[in-house]
Amino acid sequence: MLTALLHAARQKHATDAVDFPDLPEGVGGLPRLTTEPCLGEACGRCVNVCPTGAIQLSGDPENPDVSLDRGLCVTCGACIAGCPTQTIVADPSTKSAVIHREELVLYSKPTETKPIAALDGVKALGPFRRSVDVRVVSTGCNATDLEVAATANAIFDCSRFGIHFVASPRFADVLLVTGPVGRAMQKPLVSCFEAMADPRVVIAVGTCAISGGVHRGGYADANGVMPHLEVHAFVPGCPPHPWSIVHGILIATRSKATNANHSPQHGRG
Amino acid sequence: MIRVDAVPIEPADWESSVPERARRKGWKYGHLTIRRAEGGKRLLEALLLNLDNGSAEIASTPIIDGGSKFSSVTSAIPAAHWAEQAVGDLWGLHASGHPRWKSLILHEAWPPDKFPFAVSADGPPSPRESKFLTVGGQGVHEIPVGPIHAGIIEPGHFRFSCIGEIVANLDIRLGYVHRGVEARLAAVPLRHARHVAESASSDSAVANALAHAQALEDLWGLEGPKRAAAVRTVALEIERVANHFGDLGALASDIGFALGAATFGRLRGAALGFGQTLSGTRFQRGFVCPGGLAWEVGDAQLRLLTQSLSELKPAAADACEILFENPGVQERLEGVGILKPSLADEFGMVGPTARASGSPYDARCHFAHALFPGLAVDVATETAGDAFARAEVRRKEVFSSLRLIEEVLAALPQGGSLVKTPETLPPSKTAIGIVEAWRGELIHWITTDEQGKISRYAIRDPSFQNWTGVAIAVRGNLVMDFPLINKSFNLSYSGSDL
Ligand code: SF4
Ligand code: SF4
Repeated sequence: MLTALLHAARQKHATDAVDFPDLPEGVGGLPRLTTEPCLGEACGRCVNVCPTGAIQLSGDPENPDVSLDRGLCVTCGACIAGCPTQTIVADPSTKSAVIHREELVLYSKPTETKPIAALDGVKALGPFRRSVDVRVVSTGCNATDLEVAATANAIFDCSRFGIHFVASPRFADVLLVTGPVGRAMQKPLVSCFEAMADPRVVIAVGTCAISGGVHRGGYADANGVMPHLEVHAFVPGCPPHPWSIVHGILIATRSKATNANHSPQHGRG
Repeated sequence: MIRVDAVPIEPADWESSVPERARRKGWKYGHLTIRRAEGGKRLLEALLLNLDNGSAEIASTPIIDGGSKFSSVTSAIPAAHWAEQAVGDLWGLHASGHPRWKSLILHEAWPPDKFPFAVSADGPPSPRESKFLTVGGQGVHEIPVGPIHAGIIEPGHFRFSCIGEIVANLDIRLGYVHRGVEARLAAVPLRHARHVAESASSDSAVANALAHAQALEDLWGLEGPKRAAAVRTVALEIERVANHFGDLGALASDIGFALGAATFGRLRGAALGFGQTLSGTRFQRGFVCPGGLAWEVGDAQLRLLTQSLSELKPAAADACEILFENPGVQERLEGVGILKPSLADEFGMVGPTARASGSPYDARCHFAHALFPGLAVDVATETAGDAFARAEVRRKEVFSSLRLIEEVLAALPQGGSLVKTPETLPPSKTAIGIVEAWRGELIHWITTDEQGKISRYAIRDPSFQNWTGVAIAVRGNLVMDFPLINKSFNLSYSGSDL
């Protein structure tokens, strides 16, 4: 035991000093669109390589609008690596969670979109005050599960933010769902939600949970959480960075924009 | 390149011939499944692997038209018992003579007439049977657990039959995360397939991307650049190190040893950081691709990697000392969840699970992938077959992988990392990719039709073999030790369910 304590004393502080740090240079995150002019149909590389059809070109073929749906993006990096004009680049931000599904769609030209939900510091807003208990239901993405579990480790230490993972829906405030919710997990997921007391929020973590990702539209009916439950926050990425997951839990439960105050319904479609 | 020979077998001889071939010296069973051949005919195929020369053979026999059965080989090759059940679920065929016939992947949530790979011309399918094995006798009670588990892990159902607190039998029902990965792989444009392949079990993205790339490269008969092979080796070993750290931390956490859990948690973070330095993301997604690597690795990244490696090694040694030298940890792990070598062998265990039960098999020593088998690996084995042995194998593998990474980085070939690959595949060919993933032997098995389209894409995840090991190891143990035993295997649900 003494050796263990000595080793423990030798280990320095492991927790990230800054909350939601940007990813280091050269690291591939989610794609982001810039205002650099796109070459359009003559190029079309991004549309061609994207495995989930997340990117679309529209408008004037000479000077098209590019749109990119992060809710479909499996962060494969292929569009970023192939774009000759830097219209698509890697986004270093780890604050990538959003409150509304539409906010996941990015446009190369400014459009009227809802402002991204700001995280108002760590102020305690909404019904949950400073502490939330999170029940995780995995429906089949072990990478995202690992990153959710990582939020509790010494590096991210989510308990600093009042986030705790619990083993039963009975005492959970947040239902955090990972994976694409294929046929056999649809009923168990909904019954887990029904076992939770109000107020409760649902967070879709990872692109599979948002849209089914690469499994979307297949015979297993694995199209994400939305066909089964109303979702209060979306965390894109395949898998999302642990900081982004913490961000998602915080905006769903603490941001002014959250609608966690009213009881969610099923089957929003 | 893995040579694949075709061995046609008469339906009447299947039951005797396949086990005979699998038992030849130097051979092992790989997988068993069905594919659709010319004219829509169904072919039953068994993949057998030759460890002596790193080649493979595929024994095949036709399913008679309109037939709904084939002869089971499970009594002679117990390792095939889940593969035959999966054929039942996906193709609507019955393995006659299977000693424990029931559905494996598709159960109550699925319409009883849904067989994803069956077509109406096949004739009426054999109905699915969803049931659990019941244990009779006085005082036997059942404990159902799942599909949703208490921790942050994938879903699956465990049905325990117990006598008091002792587990008499465990029936494992998976399939809750069946997403239709194999069908999707055959349907998407070839350029997108690698991303679907990675998602087969996304915590093993490198291994899956590599098995996919090796199989396609074999189909084309091309070899990627030397530099790509070397970097792929580094990527694969980083994935192994990160996950072994994660597993050791999870074991510490399950026995309530918080210091060990925290220490290995941060080491896992450091190893994922290596992946990020090398490939751009923590799970190295989209990096390994057919023809080589999707993007180049710069010298600055490699220098950073070499430097962080030298810092990690002493930290890893310290962490292992904290965990393995602790008498409390030894006490909790030793003698728990024993999987006897003979059973591990019969049921076809692979990876650290098999090596903790005395098997010397490591696919890196036999089958061509990345720089293997040319690069020598110290195979880590233990004989006790308990939770401690499975932890010990992981500890040894962490250090041998770190050595491999250093060795490869020190002599990294120069030059490009990608060769151009054709846009189409050659017609009527079969190739397999075999990779020693961190959980063990992973197989991607691809067959093309006369038009050069993928007609069957089969994946055999290591977990598909090893789940049976959990069911065996838990027998006679306390119910409350199940989480620990399960963790000592740490298998993939999505890789099994596909
Ligand atoms: S990074 Fe996302 S948007 Fe870009 S090609 Fe990959 S999946 Fe599509
Ligand atoms: S790759 Fe870049 S330049 Fe080409 S179409 Fe896409 S956004 Fe435009």
